[in-house]
Amino acid sequence: MTLLVAKDISVHAGSDRLVDPVSLTLEMGKAVTVLGESGSGKSLLAQAILGTLPKGLDGSGTLTVGGDTFDPARPQGNRVLWGRRIAVLPQEPWLALDPLMRGQQQVAEVHDLVAAASEPAVRAKADLTALGLEAAGDKFPWQLSGGMAQRLAFAAARAGGAAITVADEPTKGLDADRRDDVLALLRKGLEGGGLLTITHDLTLAKGLGGEILVMQGGTVVERGPAARILTAPQHPYTRALIAADPANWPRRVPPSVQPVLVRATDVTVSRAGRTLFRPVGFSLSRGQTLGIFGPSGCGKSSLGNAILGLLPYEGTLWRDPGAPKLGFQKLWQDPPAAFPARITLGQGLDDLIALHRIDRKRVAPLLDRLKLSPSLLTRLPSGVSGGELQRIALLRALLLDPVFLFADEPTSRLDPVTQAETVRLMTEIAAERDMAIVFVSHDRALLHSVSDQMLELSAQ
Amino acid sequence: MTAAHIGWSVLAALILFALMGPLFDPVGPFKQSLMKALSGADAAAPFGYDHLGRSMFSRLAHALRLSLLLAFAATATAAVIGIGLGALASWRGGWLDRGLALVADSVLALPALLMVLMMGVILPSTALAFWAGLAAVQWVEFFRLTRNAARSHLASPAVEAATLQGFGPVWIFRRILWPEIGPMLRTASAFGVGNAIAAIAALGFVSVGMRAPTPELGLMMVELLPSWREAPFALMQPVLACFALLLALNLIAGDRR
Repeated sequence: MTLLVAKDISVHAGSDRLVDPVSLTLEMGKAVTVLGESGSGKSLLAQAILGTLPKGLDGSGTLTVGGDTFDPARPQGNRVLWGRRIAVLPQEPWLALDPLMRGQQQVAEVHDLVAAASEPAVRAKADLTALGLEAAGDKFPWQLSGGMAQRLAFAAARAGGAAITVADEPTKGLDADRRDDVLALLRKGLEGGGLLTITHDLTLAKGLGGEILVMQGGTVVERGPAARILTAPQHPYTRALIAADPANWPRRVPPSVQPVLVRATDVTVSRAGRTLFRPVGFSLSRGQTLGIFGPSGCGKSSLGNAILGLLPYEGTLWRDPGAPKLGFQKLWQDPPAAFPARITLGQGLDDLIALHRIDRKRVAPLLDRLKLSPSLLTRLPSGVSGGELQRIALLRALLLDPVFLFADEPTSRLDPVTQAETVRLMTEIAAERDMAIVFVSHDRALLHSVSDQMLELSAQ
Repeated sequence: MTAAHIGWSVLAALILFALMGPLFDPVGPFKQSLMKALSGADAAAPFGYDHLGRSMFSRLAHALRLSLLLAFAATATAAVIGIGLGALASWRGGWLDRGLALVADSVLALPALLMVLMMGVILPSTALAFWAGLAAVQWVEFFRLTRNAARSHLASPAVEAATLQGFGPVWIFRRILWPEIGPMLRTASAFGVGNAIAAIAALGFVSVGMRAPTPELGLMMVELLPSWREAPFALMQPVLACFALLLALNLIAGDRR
């Protein structure tokens, strides 16, 4: 059964075409996944179908949902679809749920007001039971775990009786366990309807199956069944995207034996009187990479900051006293936040060069090595992409000849292709300079391919 | 042309008048000629005469000089103290932060005019009392703004990066904090100057501020009030000057850029 037919959907901003015409069909029980990096127009496509394009952007084409025709150029008409025929899975469940309402009520309200169904409480209870959320019925959202909140938000979104589910980046910023939860949820949604997923997550796309559309620069460059696209990609961009998946990266060659730089014995960090994780021990030599893994909030960043000397710790932490004072540097998760927002990048570098009397001639070869255009330095951090900014942060650190680099989820906000390139550059340069790296990530596959040893933190 | 441009032009015109006016004035603000009391404009007094036959042009220029000088001096002092203490409190944290916040909250509980009157008892001259009293009230505003803004910026990765790269607090203040909080403080300064001018005029009006015969806007208003029927234009002048000044400063403060 065909649920939705979108024909020649395109998006314009004035006279610029942002998304070239795309047609897609959603069938009962089938998933359609749009893959692409940010800026590829994949979210705009979903918004054009939903009728939620931001002001200033116009959609065009034709949209047919269950026999009724809608005009993407006049999105007001799409309102009747929302909740009743198309459900949107919220990206941030905490923000989508009402913090003052108990779980079952949130779902019952949708049954009552959106679907106008009889006995909303009974239906809500059945929904929660089906998702294994019996216990969450009389709890408030803040009493639920992230995974439970996500399932509750899913139940509320679907309670309007919509057969079509649209999920925009449902796994963005989630760790592996939560990602599996979301995949299971979306699969459940597939049982009674169609699913349109927008993502850059290959694991998710693989798990959902169905049809895949690969988008780049507003154009669908390749489409086909998931099994073929993911195993035998044709288009160079699809190949790059699949090669960028950490699971497909080449194995790391262990570095030669080097003197120890940092040695930790029974180290833990306390915040506000609470010990964050069970004491850990490790020994890190120059040139080596230590991967730190663990659930969010377990103190991965705090451990790294303790090694840098930014936080107090308990236990014994030995740092090679021969290492230069500024030899311990860091890369941050959110690249724009790591630069002064109101001065140009070049100004920041100039100040650094002046402060430590660094030879100015070292900048140009480093720019070259990191594949950065010198013109980027005339811009403010807000005018440079995340991947470039992270490489400039690396350049800034390299000017100080670091022996140790703490990479705190340095690529979690980057697109897969950019992530692969950034991490490759980082590890190559670390090998050239015998730099030790502590790499924090919630992506286990990524850590496996970059680290010589892994450390898993567990909550106390 | 935006509202802020109008504000800046009006302020510039008033400052120019206050600075240059006395240079073209042959009589000065104190010279009385009772024969001319409340009479209209002539060559020596382009704005007419007040109830004691003093030149309104000269008195207005001197009154504006006094108000602007006191208000700018008080706000500048308050800004330096407030920004300095605010940055210090958010940077050091702990008991210093709590102590300063407690002092600021206590000052806030006192009425501003009371503070000026208290300073009047302690300090020898009324002008000094205004300067010290207004600064003692206004620094709280700058302190709170700086402290709150600096607290979030000092916790940012940019500051962590600067620390790891060996930059000191001065660089962090100049390159990270100041560009962020500067525009906000400009608004606060414009409001501060406006409030100071209003406070000086208000105290003059209820006769507890500047003493006669000092030319001061509030004092001039209350002196000319009994003659409003005979010389409405004389009374209008200090009122209009005060209004234009406050309007200009509020337009500048309201600039959203």
